[in-house]
Amino acid sequence: MSSTCQPILRVRVHARDAETLRALLRDTRPDVGGIAHRADDGSCSIVAYVSPDQAEALEREGVSVTTIDDAAAKGRARQAEVGDGDRFAPADAVPHGLADKI
Amino acid sequence: MSYLNITEVESAVTSLATAFPGTSELIDLPEPSVEERACHALRIGAAPSGTNDCAVLIGGVHAREWGSCEILIHLVADLLEAYDAGTGLGYGGTTFTADDVRKILRELDLVVFPLVNPDGRRYSQTVEPLWRKNRNPARSGGDPERIGVDINRNYDFLFDFATAFHPTAAPRVSTDPGDIVYQGPEPFSEPETRNVRWLFDTWPRTRWFVDVHSYSEDMLTVWGDDENQSDDGLQNFLNPDFDHLRGLGADVYGEFLAKSDADDSTVLAERFCAAVHGVRGRTYRAMSGYQLYPTSGTSDDYAYSRHIVDRRKGKILGFTVEWGDEAGGFHPPWAEMKRIVRDVDAGLVQFCLAALA
Ligand SMILES: [Zn+2]
Repeated sequence: MSSTCQPILRVRVHARDAETLRALLRDTRPDVGGIAHRADDGSCSIVAYVSPDQAEALEREGVSVTTIDDAAAKGRARQAEVGDGDRFAPADAVPHGLADKI
Repeated sequence: MSYLNITEVESAVTSLATAFPGTSELIDLPEPSVEERACHALRIGAAPSGTNDCAVLIGGVHAREWGSCEILIHLVADLLEAYDAGTGLGYGGTTFTADDVRKILRELDLVVFPLVNPDGRRYSQTVEPLWRKNRNPARSGGDPERIGVDINRNYDFLFDFATAFHPTAAPRVSTDPGDIVYQGPEPFSEPETRNVRWLFDTWPRTRWFVDVHSYSEDMLTVWGDDENQSDDGLQNFLNPDFDHLRGLGADVYGEFLAKSDADDSTVLAERFCAAVHGVRGRTYRAMSGYQLYPTSGTSDDYAYSRHIVDRRKGKILGFTVEWGDEAGGFHPPWAEMKRIVRDVDAGLVQFCLAALA
């Protein structure tokens, strides 16, 4: 159970340039969501999912780390929005798409 | 309504096949998941299987990206229902005519595999919401923290990344079973990955492939190992002269992509993004998969690389959708996820039409 109740922080990692971000990813190997984005000024940012200890370890020169939320807690709350049972078990139950049929 | 659990994804697929026998066909994937769950896909099309060129769409690869299954189930349901009723489809400001729907059903083999990784989805929906990999314990040594292979690093494309990439390239892949992007012991070591390969082999007329992931509101084209270039065919993933040089972007190496394929990929990705934007104004970006750091063993690069490795195989243009924004993350509230489903389904319908054009 321990692993399921630890916070997993979603953090925005902002690096002053691409090489700084690459070095950070090489050294710390965080779980990154999505892909990195580069701004016009050459700075780069990426979202990472890390323990509070890992979040501290990301801090270094040329890098800023901003916490967005506790993604594990948010995800556990969202598990309540998953169906239970089988809504398509009745013989006449068929999924419908979300488009208007026009 | 709510997110579908794994039983419901399966029963959605089978009930659609039952409800629309003239235009859909249930596909039994050859291998069960690591935890022995049977896997199914749907082929939809009014013509007999194999008559038309084929698009393969997959989802549910990364366990925590829940909405990918719903995007694909709803897409198939929309197309089957609209074709049956002779209607078009309206997704907010993006609309399609009944003729558009008929064109897709009559001129395309559309193979949709909405849940590649059922074990992972179950674990993410009931235990660890941020779980990404499959649930293979074979290399864990009994340590629950070391379970699982990242299916989207397990395809056969530059699998030996230590040789392929420059030492400072920081590829997002690992040989460590405890890592979230563990590639597995060898290419196609996982049944989930082999099932996807089986679809390509079984529909040799597959020309387009889309892997549905989240998040960042992007439509990614090949390649993911380095920036693309169309000038020097010698700079390619098969050429050992460029080992230890790949992955840095904008330097001595760029992965070769024939100009016509680069153009075709860009057009399809841009048409997808335009249709998404039309729904309610969300801006998805069309770009190649390499952004600052490389990947290896991903589905889209593997799909496209097949015809280069083996000239007898057909050319497949590979794409990866990254639906959703930072606010929603991997698990938007269902009310928001429904809006995302409409966005992406509009994009995918347009993608199919653009592919056939
Ligand atoms: Zn993913």
